[in-house]
Amino acid sequence: MALPRWTIFLLLFLLCFVSKSVEEREEHEEQEEFSEELLLRPLPDRKVLAHFHFQSRVPPTETYGRHHHLFPKAIYQLVHKFRIREMELSFTQGRWSYERWGGYDPISSNNAKPPGVELWAAFDVPEHQVDASWKNLSHALSGLFCSSINFLESSTAYSAPDGGFRSSTGNMRYGTLPREAVCTENLTPWLKLLPCRDKAGLSALMDRPSIYRGYYHSQRLHLTSTEFDSTGLKTGIVLEQTLTVVLKPNAPGNNMGYSSGSILQPSWSLSSLFGKKVGGKCLLANSSSVYLQLEGALFSELNNIQKENERYNNDDLALKGSWSSPGFELSVSPDRMIKELNSLHEDGPSVLYEFLMENYSDSKLFELGFTWKFPVVWSCPRAPLHSSRFLMGSGNERGAIALSLISTKQSEAFQIADINGERCSLQVDVFQVVPWYVKVYYHTLQVFVDEQPQSVPDVIKKMHVSPSEDKVSPGVMEVVLNLPCGVKSAALTIEFDKGFLHIDEYPPDANQGFDIPSAVVSFPEFQASLNFLEDASSNRSPLLSKLKERSPVLSYTEILLVPLTTPDFSMPYNVITITCTVFALYFGSLLNVLRRRVGEEERLSKIKAAKKNGRLPLLLSKLSAKLRGRPWEPPQSSSSSSSSSSSSLISYKLLIKIVLVAGVAAGWQYYFG
Amino acid sequence: MIRLQMERFFKSTVILSLLLCSICLCSAIASSYSSSASSSSITMHTNNWAVLVCTSRFWFNYRHMANTLSLYRTVKRLGIPDERIILMLADDMACNARNKYPAQVFNNENHRLNLYGDNVEVDYRGYEVTVENFLRVLTGRHETAVPRSKRLLSDEGSHILLYMTGHGGDEFLKFQDSEELQSHDLADAVKQMKEKRRFKELLIMVDTCQAATLFSQLHSPGVLAIGSSMKGENSYSHHLDSDVGVSVVDRFTFYTLAFFERLNIYDNASLSSLFSSYNPSTLMSTAYYRTDLYQRQLREVPVTNFFGSVMETIHTDSAYGALSGKEFTRYKIKMSSDQSTSLQEQGTFVSSNVQQQMNDSDTKGACPFTRMMARLHDKMEKIEDVDTLVNYGLVIMLPLVAVSTWLSQ
Repeated sequence: MALPRWTIFLLLFLLCFVSKSVEEREEHEEQEEFSEELLLRPLPDRKVLAHFHFQSRVPPTETYGRHHHLFPKAIYQLVHKFRIREMELSFTQGRWSYERWGGYDPISSNNAKPPGVELWAAFDVPEHQVDASWKNLSHALSGLFCSSINFLESSTAYSAPDGGFRSSTGNMRYGTLPREAVCTENLTPWLKLLPCRDKAGLSALMDRPSIYRGYYHSQRLHLTSTEFDSTGLKTGIVLEQTLTVVLKPNAPGNNMGYSSGSILQPSWSLSSLFGKKVGGKCLLANSSSVYLQLEGALFSELNNIQKENERYNNDDLALKGSWSSPGFELSVSPDRMIKELNSLHEDGPSVLYEFLMENYSDSKLFELGFTWKFPVVWSCPRAPLHSSRFLMGSGNERGAIALSLISTKQSEAFQIADINGERCSLQVDVFQVVPWYVKVYYHTLQVFVDEQPQSVPDVIKKMHVSPSEDKVSPGVMEVVLNLPCGVKSAALTIEFDKGFLHIDEYPPDANQGFDIPSAVVSFPEFQASLNFLEDASSNRSPLLSKLKERSPVLSYTEILLVPLTTPDFSMPYNVITITCTVFALYFGSLLNVLRRRVGEEERLSKIKAAKKNGRLPLLLSKLSAKLRGRPWEPPQSSSSSSSSSSSSLISYKLLIKIVLVAGVAAGWQYYFG
Repeated sequence: MIRLQMERFFKSTVILSLLLCSICLCSAIASSYSSSASSSSITMHTNNWAVLVCTSRFWFNYRHMANTLSLYRTVKRLGIPDERIILMLADDMACNARNKYPAQVFNNENHRLNLYGDNVEVDYRGYEVTVENFLRVLTGRHETAVPRSKRLLSDEGSHILLYMTGHGGDEFLKFQDSEELQSHDLADAVKQMKEKRRFKELLIMVDTCQAATLFSQLHSPGVLAIGSSMKGENSYSHHLDSDVGVSVVDRFTFYTLAFFERLNIYDNASLSSLFSSYNPSTLMSTAYYRTDLYQRQLREVPVTNFFGSVMETIHTDSAYGALSGKEFTRYKIKMSSDQSTSLQEQGTFVSSNVQQQMNDSDTKGACPFTRMMARLHDKMEKIEDVDTLVNYGLVIMLPLVAVSTWLSQ
């Protein structure tokens, strides 16, 4: 009996100890955090935006130590080895449509990226080490993400922005690879950074074929670290991973185009979009939720419809177990509805429906279905100016780049808010990197406002240019434009000459043309942020706090494809073969003519026939004759008379040959010389 | 009289010097031979690597990528882990805009098997697939910044499978339609690999037109080569997938895969059974094997020695700590897998081994000739300045020539 009592006592003691330690841990509060969230948003052009947001955070090493159980080790080592302060890497395929999918919300400003790979990083190293760090970082990332990011190591591929890009601080480098392919092999290592990989939680939705079938997909990795800050608040390393996909729900029998407003938008569900279902949250996540966002314009439209319907009085169409709202129906009822606070848009506040993943499990799968009840037409909020870039001119010698900014309707509303000085103006920042073989003449910069040419100093407040250096560095142009408020359209043009590359520098598919990376156009006076109702629970959500963050409205322009003069790559081979053939013909026949003596040969052959042996003495006598400087005479002078008859023939032949050779040479000179 | 004596003296010196030279040469050859023999016999097959290269760009070469990915899938299935596979794909077919099945690649029109699954690790892709990078991977001469995942970190216990597919011709293979890898380049790279002890055995498998010509310059021992076609023959694609719109697999690779699909990691099928499975009438070309550089009998070599990662297991009677003495050193040598340390160990062991042999012969050999030989050899080894030795040799040659001309008169 003594033994059980002992054990009970021990157990109690242990329990006490454990609870105490738990309390202590809670007091400490410095824990690794991981959260997974998914934002779904119906888009006006019958597509659906899915935005995955994963965030992991590790407290600073000083207080927490070097061992983690959630934060990816690879990223931690990267941060420490290269002393990264901030870094962003994005892999994108497709182009974000700023007109249809929105240009004035945090997702389009932060997550719409140029096609290919974009990488920028700020280092906490002395100025002279930044380039070396950047080079090593690009190699490390290329190994980590299975892509050719290492091409960014060459100094022709990256630039050091000076405030024009994301109000950058010093020690920052920026580079893009517009033609980099993005596929499964890039997504897989990205998913491997998540604690649950793609095995559980929201990331289990990521079915590769359905993601890559989408109209736009962009995977992004954003890293901020305060590991090397000596002062200020230390938050440790925050790793934010987002995947933004625009998918088109397949609506059978409903694909009649959407030009007329009366056609119903296609209904969708998570499984029809991704081909998979979610069974609960990733157990390692602190928070895991799915949001359905309805934009302000859509929400007010739906409210109008509801009012109309109330007039007509119709029955409640809601099915059992589903949740119904005026214009649409959800197969799962949301746990919470959050309304946007003090919206800047005139459309009205946008709305979030939150679904908590805690309530679902493998036995109770989360299957969100969205069914429209009425045809709805709305439009997304857009940036004050819509920017597009194109090439002008023709031929392979020169051309011009034009950047046009066209006012969207919505900017009229903003103008009123902006008149606070004597001269109302709209600030636009343009950041553009041009590869060295597109030789831009910066003095040819012209500005047109409302199709009228303007003097450059009137419009351009600030301009920072670092001209390109051949085969060393690209050209960088950072411009701050001050446009008048009521501007309808503005355009910048700049001329360039096309350079020549060395034959080894051409890529294998040079005939396709060369890419000029996207320009970045930002509107620092306009802040994209969605401020959703703040309460205790929404504070926890990193996605909502990210949406709330104020960041300037930003958009990327198109990539330009510049056809350069490309040589015919088989040309050197052809030239070499032709030249060699001609040379061989020329010299061969010339030597033949000059050296060959038919009569001598005949005589020699006769001698040979006569005298088969005794070669060595013959040679010796020849040698001695040469040494003496006398013409050599064969010991037996038998026949040396028959040459006179053939000499005329020889001279005739010789003449023809010489004429032929001279003709060929002259022709060669004439055509190729 | 004097002249006769002189002649005799000269003759004797000539003979003596000739003898000396020959002895030096023989001993040098013998020592080098023994060292190389011992090094190759000591190392054991400890790990497997695979370098899979698709050299063709553009959509219509879909089949080359499908070939490479099929092999990738096979070697992965048979046990080579991703970090020991260097996969080079010259273009992006899976997410190509022309691909009707995004993120999927098929090697058969039945579409039963997606080769581009969720876990593909491509190490070199797009513009990175160049002759330069390929040779760098083989010879291991990278920039310091290049990550480990892009390096071939093999050692002298490695069996390497090198698979290449693309468009080729007589003694060359085209990379990306802009560069060529010539048979000399390949042979040179392999020779460098051999000298750097980067492999124990190497299997080169090439699926291209006139593949056999690519092997003509190989001279390094331990290399086995298989090509899809002889000189003057083309390698053809197997079939067209009308959904994808292009041919999806080449014949040689198709029948190679057909052979491997029947196998699992435990099978003992030999290389000769793989070689005999190629039928010229179905292949529409003659598969070529070059085995003269390979020492082992093909009947005794299981295919999993190259296409999988199946090691011989060493049976030890006791647990770890109990290994001692002579046995221990033997096992250490055999089981060392860590590259750099094992290399060094191996090196020291080989040299000490040679030394040992020399000493043995010194003590045992009662014959004065062998003793002299050994002493001479030692002296030879002590000479550091090779140039002076060569000069001495030349100086010795001069009187020899003089004497021989004098004698012939």
